[in-house]
Amino acid sequence: MNIIEIRGLTKDYPLGKTIVHALRGIDLSIAKGDLVSVMGPSGSGKTTLLNVIGCIDLATAGSVKIGDRELTALDDKQVTDLRLHRLGFIFQTFNLIPVLTSTENVEFPLLLQKRLDRKEIRRRAEKLLDDVGLSEYRRNRPSELSGGQRQRVAIARALVTHPDIVLADEPTANLDSATGASILEIMKEMNAREQTTFLFSTHDKNVLKYARTVVNIKDGLIDGN
Amino acid sequence: MELICKIAGRNLWRHRGHSLVIGAILFLGSLFMTVGNGVVSGMDRGLQRTIVRSFTGDIVLLSDKHESDNVFMEMMGRAVEPIEDYAAVRAVLEKDSALSDFLPIGKNMAMILNDEDGPSAFVYLLGVDFGRYRKMFPGNMEILEGRFPVEGQTGMLLPLWARKEIRDQTNVWFVPAGAPMGLGLDTSHMDADARKHRADMRVKNGMVMMGFNEANTATDIRLNVDGVFRYNALNTIFGHFALTDIESYRKCLGYFLASEKNQGKVSGADSALLSMEDGNLDAMFGTDSLVVTDKPAAGLSGPPVRKSPPREAVSPRPQNPPAGASVKPAAMDLDQGAYNLVLLLLKNGVNSDAALAELNARLKQAHASVRAVPWKKALGVVGSMATIIKGALFVFVSLLFVVAVIVIVNTLTMAALERTPELGMMRAIGARKGFIGGMFLAETAMLSALFGGLGIVAGILGVGVLSLLKLTSENDMLQLFFGGDTFHPLLTAGDIVLAGLQLAFVTVAAVTYPLLLARKVGPLDAIGKE
Repeated sequence: MNIIEIRGLTKDYPLGKTIVHALRGIDLSIAKGDLVSVMGPSGSGKTTLLNVIGCIDLATAGSVKIGDRELTALDDKQVTDLRLHRLGFIFQTFNLIPVLTSTENVEFPLLLQKRLDRKEIRRRAEKLLDDVGLSEYRRNRPSELSGGQRQRVAIARALVTHPDIVLADEPTANLDSATGASILEIMKEMNAREQTTFLFSTHDKNVLKYARTVVNIKDGLIDGN
Repeated sequence: MELICKIAGRNLWRHRGHSLVIGAILFLGSLFMTVGNGVVSGMDRGLQRTIVRSFTGDIVLLSDKHESDNVFMEMMGRAVEPIEDYAAVRAVLEKDSALSDFLPIGKNMAMILNDEDGPSAFVYLLGVDFGRYRKMFPGNMEILEGRFPVEGQTGMLLPLWARKEIRDQTNVWFVPAGAPMGLGLDTSHMDADARKHRADMRVKNGMVMMGFNEANTATDIRLNVDGVFRYNALNTIFGHFALTDIESYRKCLGYFLASEKNQGKVSGADSALLSMEDGNLDAMFGTDSLVVTDKPAAGLSGPPVRKSPPREAVSPRPQNPPAGASVKPAAMDLDQGAYNLVLLLLKNGVNSDAALAELNARLKQAHASVRAVPWKKALGVVGSMATIIKGALFVFVSLLFVVAVIVIVNTLTMAALERTPELGMMRAIGARKGFIGGMFLAETAMLSALFGGLGIVAGILGVGVLSLLKLTSENDMLQLFFGGDTFHPLLTAGDIVLAGLQLAFVTVAAVTYPLLLARKVGPLDAIGKE
C-alpha cells in the first residue's frame, strides 16, 4: 500500500523576471513503512520535493496524495493539522525551540495536539529521548547540546506523535561522519520498530546503505528508480 | 495557554534587551498616564472648588434676551440683561430637587468717577444679598482690611486686584471706612508701585460709581468701602469683581429697587421718568438729560423690570457715614427687585449635563424668559481655558501613547523578523497561526502587566508625593492648571482603572502589527528554498 502518491508534480519559482522550474513533472509512489533516500546534487530539486510532500510548499501543478488526502485541495488550517498529526520533520539546521529543554521540545507537538494528558506526554517524550540516547540531557536546552545531540532531539520530536511519514532534509549535512552515521542508524532502527515511513534527502552517497529505496533526482526529474 | 505562557515568558528573558526597552517605554508611559490622570482629576476637583463652589455655581441662569452665554468675562462687552420674571424662575428653582442652593445676583460694569477730572476707572459689580452670598460660597475669600458688610445694610467689598487697578488708573487708593487714611495707613497689601508713589496718592474710603446697564445709562451712587478682600484662588481673574449689596447695585444700574416695590413705590429715577410729560421725552436724549437734577419729569412708562433712566444724582452720603445705614427693612423681600443672573449649585453626585437639560425644559415649560448655561460657558474664555488645559494634557498623554506605540511596534517587529526561523519551524511542526499570535500577544501582555503595572504604581506614588509637596502659585494660568492656588493632583479608583485601560489600549495597538506579521510567517520562511 502506498502512503505517498505523486503524479505530474511540477513546481516553479519566480526568480526576478525568469521562472525556475524546480520540479518538472514528477511521478512517484512510496510504500508505507519504506525508508527512502532522495539523492541528487545540490539544486536538483530534492528539498523542493520534500517540502511539497511535507505541505511546507505548494505544488504548481500535479497531484500529491498522503494516504487518501489530496494535498492541493487543503486549506492552511487543514494543512497545519496534517503536518501536526501525520507528518514529522527533521531539518538540516536542527530547528529546535531555543527556550525549551530537550524534553519540552519533544513534548511540543503533543502539547499542540492536546490529545493526551500531561503525564502521558511526559512519559512518551522521555522514552523517546531514552531511545535516541539522550536521557542524560533531558533538562538541557538546545544551546547546551552538540549538533548531533540536537539532531537526535529533532528525531525524537518528529517521532513522538507516531506520524505516518517522517521527512528529513539532509539530516546529516551539518554533522561529522560518525555522528551522521549514528543519526541514520537511529532512523533505520525507528523505521524498523515503528514501521514509520522515512523519506530523507541527501547528496552523500555514503548514506545510501541505510536506505531501502533510493530515488535519484536530477534537474527536477526522477532519474530512474 | 500554559505552553504559550511558558514559551512567551522564557522568550522575554532570552531577549532581555528588547524586553527592557519595551518595558521601560511601558513603565514611563504608564507613569505619565497615571500622573496625567491625577493632574486632570485634581484640576477638575480644584476648579470645582475654586470656581464652581466659590464664584459661579455649577449652572448660571441668564435672561433669554442676552445673546452671549459668556456673562462674566465679556470684557467691555454688552451689559447683562436683567431677568424680567424672577418670581417665575424662583418658583421653578425651589422645586428642583437637583439643586442644593441658588443665588440671584446683579452683574454689570460700573465706572468709578474721579472727582478731580482725572481718568476714571472701571470695575465689575456683583450685587448680592451678603447673607445669602456667604451661605452660598462660604470661605471663598479672605478679608484683608476692614470687615464683611453687615447683612441688610449698604456696603461694598473691594477686591485687592481691583483696588490696585483703580489706583493705577486714578491715583486713588481706597481703604475701608474707618481705617486710617493718613498716618497709620495700612500699607501691608500695597503693591510696590503704590508704595513708591505713596506720597502722591489720594486716599479715600468711599467712591462714586455710575453703573452701565444694557442701555448704557444709569445712576450715580456713592458707596463706602467696607472691606478689602482677596479671592482665595484665581484672584487676578475674579479680582475684577467687587461685591455690593443688591439694592445699591440696583440703584447704580437704574433697576427697580426691592425697597420701593415693597412699599408700592418706584425708584426716584423711575418716578422722575413716570412723571415726565410726553413732550419732554426727547429731552432724555438731549444734553439736558445729563444734567443732574432732583426735579421729577412726568408722563413716562417703561418695562416692568428694567428702567433706563437718565443719570440721576443720588444724594451722596457723608464721606464717613455711620456704619450700618440700612436700605432694607427687616421684612423686605429682596427678590422683588431686579437681578441679572442666578447662580445654581447642584447637589453632590448630580450629573450636571442632565440637570442642565432638565432645568431648561422646566424653565421653558414655566414660560420663564431665562436659560440655563454651564459655568464654563458663563465664564467665557476662563471656562474655555480650563477645557483647553485639560485638552492639552489629553493631547500630551495621547502623544505619549503614540510614541510608546511606535517604539514598541518597531521593537516587536524587529523581534518578529529576527525570530522568523523559530516561528516558521513551529508552524512546520504543526503550530497554527493562532498559536504564534497568542505567543506574541502573551509576551507583550506580560511586559505590559509587569512594567506597565509598575508604572501605574509609581504614578500613584508620584501623585501622592506631588500632592504632599503642596506646590503653590500666584499665577492665574498656573492656578487654572492647579485648579486652585495649590497643586493638588488626585487619583480616584476610576483614574487608576482608566490608566489600566489606557495601558491595555497601548498594548493592543502596539502588538497588532507585529502579531499580524508573525502570523504570516510560514514554514518555508524557516527552512528556506533550496
